Parts: sequence; C-alpha cells; structure tokens
Amino acid sequence: MLELRSVRHRYETNGRLVLDLDAFAVPPGALIGIVGHNGSGKSTLLRLLALLERPAEGEVRFEGKPVTPRDARALRRRVTLVEQRPVLFRGTVRDNLGYGLRIRGVSRADANRILETAAERLGVQGLLGRARHELSDGEVQRVAVARALAITPDVLLLDEPVSSADRAAAAAMYRVLDEERRARGLAVCLASHQLEDAYRWADDIRAIAEGKLSPVTPENLFRVELPPRSAGAAKLARVGTIAITVATEREGPAILGVPPTDIFVSRQPLASSARNVFSGKVTRLAHARAGTVHVTADVGVELVAVVTEEAVRELGLVPGSPVTFAFKASAVRVF
Amino acid sequence: MDFLGDGLRRAAQLLLSTDAEVYGIVLLTLKVALVATVIACGLGLPAGFLLAGSRFWGRRAALTVVNTALAFPTVVVGLLLYGLLSRRGPLGGLGWLYSWRAIVLGDVVLALPIAAALSAAAVQGVDPRIRRTAETLGAGAWRAAWAVAREARFALAAVITAAFGHVVAEIGSAMIVGGNVRGQTRTLTTAVALYTSQGDFGFALALGVILLALALLVNIALQVLQGRGHA
Repeated sequence: MLELRSVRHRYETNGRLVLDLDAFAVPPGALIGIVGHNGSGKSTLLRLLALLERPAEGEVRFEGKPVTPRDARALRRRVTLVEQRPVLFRGTVRDNLGYGLRIRGVSRADANRILETAAERLGVQGLLGRARHELSDGEVQRVAVARALAITPDVLLLDEPVSSADRAAAAAMYRVLDEERRARGLAVCLASHQLEDAYRWADDIRAIAEGKLSPVTPENLFRVELPPRSAGAAKLARVGTIAITVATEREGPAILGVPPTDIFVSRQPLASSARNVFSGKVTRLAHARAGTVHVTADVGVELVAVVTEEAVRELGLVPGSPVTFAFKASAVRVF
Repeated sequence: MDFLGDGLRRAAQLLLSTDAEVYGIVLLTLKVALVATVIACGLGLPAGFLLAGSRFWGRRAALTVVNTALAFPTVVVGLLLYGLLSRRGPLGGLGWLYSWRAIVLGDVVLALPIAAALSAAAVQGVDPRIRRTAETLGAGAWRAAWAVAREARFALAAVITAAFGHVVAEIGSAMIVGGNVRGQTRTLTTAVALYTSQGDFGFALALGVILLALALLVNIALQVLQGRGHA
C-alpha cells in the first residue's frame, strides 16, 4: 500500500544522512514494529511515510504509484501520524477529536457519534470536556491516538505511542489497533525503542540502526519453546546450540530477551552466581554514543553486550578475541 | 510647570465642550489608523506566515529586509512618498498628495514591516508539531495555517496592536504627505505639533490626552481578548 524506494534523507541543517533505505513497504493490514535506539531514524522514517516530508532522494509510492506533492496533500487524508510527543490543539478534547472530521465535512451529529465511539474505545470518554492543559502526558497520547482513529485512516503511523501510558492503557490501545486491523485492514506502523512492546504486539519487526534497516533481528531476542513446569522455577530454553537458563513459570512458545546491559563480559569464565556462562569469540565491536561499545560475540548464537570503551580497552577486546558472556537467569526477560 | 496645569485644565474643558474641530481630528485619525492597520495587517500577516513557514530562495534576505525596514525613519518614508505623489512624480496622477489617502499610504509602508516581521516571529514561536499535526489529520495549507494562527492568536493580536499603535502615533510621513490641512488632513499628531509650535499648549495637550486614551483603549481591548481564551 505505502512504500519507500531507494530513499536517502538528510538533515536540512547539516546535511547528515539520517535515512538510507533501499525498500520499506507497509502492506494493507500489516502491524509493523520498527525498533531502534533513539536517533536511529525511526521518527524520520515515519514522517516520510506520513507524507509530511519528501525524501531528498528516492520515492514514496502509494498503491503502486509515485506520490507527487499534489498527491501528498490528498493522501494525507488516508495516512496519519501520531508523533512521539503529540500535541493537542487549543480547545477541548472533543474539539480535538472532531478536528479531522470537520476537515472532511462530516456533519456535527455524525462527528459527535464517531468521536464519542473513538473516545470510548481508547478510554478517554471522561476527558471530552477537558482542555489540553488539564491532561497528563499519558492522556494526551491516548487522545492523540483516538483523534487519529476517528478519521478512519488506511495507514496509522505511531511514534512511541505508549511511552507515557501505563500498562493497562497501552494494552487497551494495542487491542483497539488489532481490532481495526482485523475489521477493515488498517495498516499500522509502530516505532518503539521498547523491544518488549514491539515483539508483543507487532507481527513484523523491523530493526533500524543509524538510518538503515538492520538484517539482524534486534539484539538478543530469541523465539523459544519453554518446557512444561518443572520442580524449580528455572528452566532451560534451547536457543540454537546453547541452552539458556530462565527463571520463569511460563511454558510453551515465548520470546526471550537478554538486555545487553545485563551481560558481564570477561576474557575467561569467572566464578559467579550467573547461571548462564557462554564462551566464544568476538565477531564485531560497534562504538555507540556516550562512550559505550556494542560487543557482538558468537557463543553458539550471536549475543550482544554493551560495555564501556574503557572495559573494551582493559580486556583488550578485538574481533576474534576469545570472550565469555555471563548473565543471571533472572536477567532474562520472557514475553 | 504652570503651563502643564493650565494645559490639563484646558484639555478637560475642550473635551467636555464637544469641540467640533477636536472631534473632527479624532475621527480622521481613527479613520486613517484603522484603514492603514487593516491594509498593513492584511498584507503583512500572510507575508509573516510565508516568511516563517515556507522554504524559498531569498527567504533569509527577505527577512533581513523586513527587519531592517522596522527602523525606517518616518520622515524618509514621507519624503520618498512626496516624491512619488507630487504632481511630477510617477504617482502624481492619482492626486493623493495632501489627502488622507496619502497619509494612509505612508502609514501602510511604515506598518507593513511591523506586521510582517512580528507575525513571522509569532508564527516561528508556535510548536512546529501543530502544523504537522493539522496536516497529518488532513488539513490543507490554509487550514494548517489557521491552526497555527489559532495557537499564536495572542501574539498576532499584539502584532495588530503594535501596528495600530505605530500608525496612530506616526507624524513624520503624515506631516509631509498630508500637509496638516485643517479639516482635511490634520491628525492628532500633526495637530499636537502645530498647536505646540503656536504656543497653544492647552489644545495640544487635550489632543495628546485623546491620543493616549486611544492607545489605552486598544490595549484594554487586547487584554480582554487575552483574558478570554486560556485553553
């Protein structure tokens, strides 16, 4: 439905390449999770998909046809974006929910019916009479999503939509998105730096790093089959050629996540309480922001640990170095 | 200091006596100021939006020109317009010299940069997400601009007040192209200058008090407007 082809996009101010994608497609009914660190290019990607900006190079296509600036104005009625920190217009929540409907010439009675339904589904019906300064950040996010859903777009783009929401509100929002998708083929593209959220709700995860789609799945996430309940809480989950000890009562299909910052890195195995100790070789060192390094090692599967530059120097880590990764069973996230 | 006391007493008497000349001057001043403000803001506000919200070649240069024009001396504007409007000038055929229209023209030239520069600053002060949000909800260029204007409405109201204040207090251009003709082009400022030079402080002061009252009324109107919307 919506597609980017050979897109390169640069910051206007300093010309830095911020997005470099050969192809990025959003098919009808898709629920795509875009994951990546802050500054990886997720928000820029969403603004291009929302037709709010034009790529410096390459093209945006909608239903197979290249989008011209004239098309973009019309198509923005079918593609809508909820920004990372959404803003509400002056006036009440009701005025905000009705904004897109008024633009589309929907009658007042119909608009009220539509917006009240959208408000109820997102749990903001009690806020309809309130002004924006009377809302919390989480409420503003829910209102912004309700405002976007009220105009029944074909493609809904969400940038960190639940960063200020509690778990229940986030779950309610994801439920509504899923219902819309099933009912009328709404395509959803959701950017998040919270891998757990993306993995839980999206059925197509795309990782983005430094403006490029990463061919590797996001760090340290593994689909596993957890064995049935055993005597203790700890279980062994097979991942490739290794078995990860996990402290969980869950069983059946699950996704394991090992936070890269919870992995201890050493040259040799050390005596410790960590139940997971794997030795292998460093395959990659990637210097990230704030003096940290992403150390990727093949320990039977590829694992990534985040350590300081100082630690890398002290351990003398280079690609090919022998290395041991250790992490506690309780550090492994299950979702 | 006696002249000040005498002047204030004279001013009070004049205002209470419903002097026809005083009210004629006030009405002409209001007419000129309102027409000039409407034209200057009608052109200047959209120009400000364009300067603040659009990317086009020469935008920076245009902003510099507009900001420089803020400090344009009123007498120089009067002089230039005099050259244009005098019988031998390129606009002499209009026959506007020494008419209220010439004063309006001068005031528009002076107030236009104020309206454009200050409204550009007001629009630049609005969160850019407002325009993007309006656009992503399906608004076209005009509706998106309207959404931005609603956010900046207090600042834009202040722009209109500033333009009106500048126009109503302007004297250099009004004196040169208006000629200060009694009953025709005599505004509050030119009249104050004239009667002061003639030593008629009471009359000059009375007109000065009215000028201040006009400015006060406009500011009160703005404050009432600002007090209304808080959301």
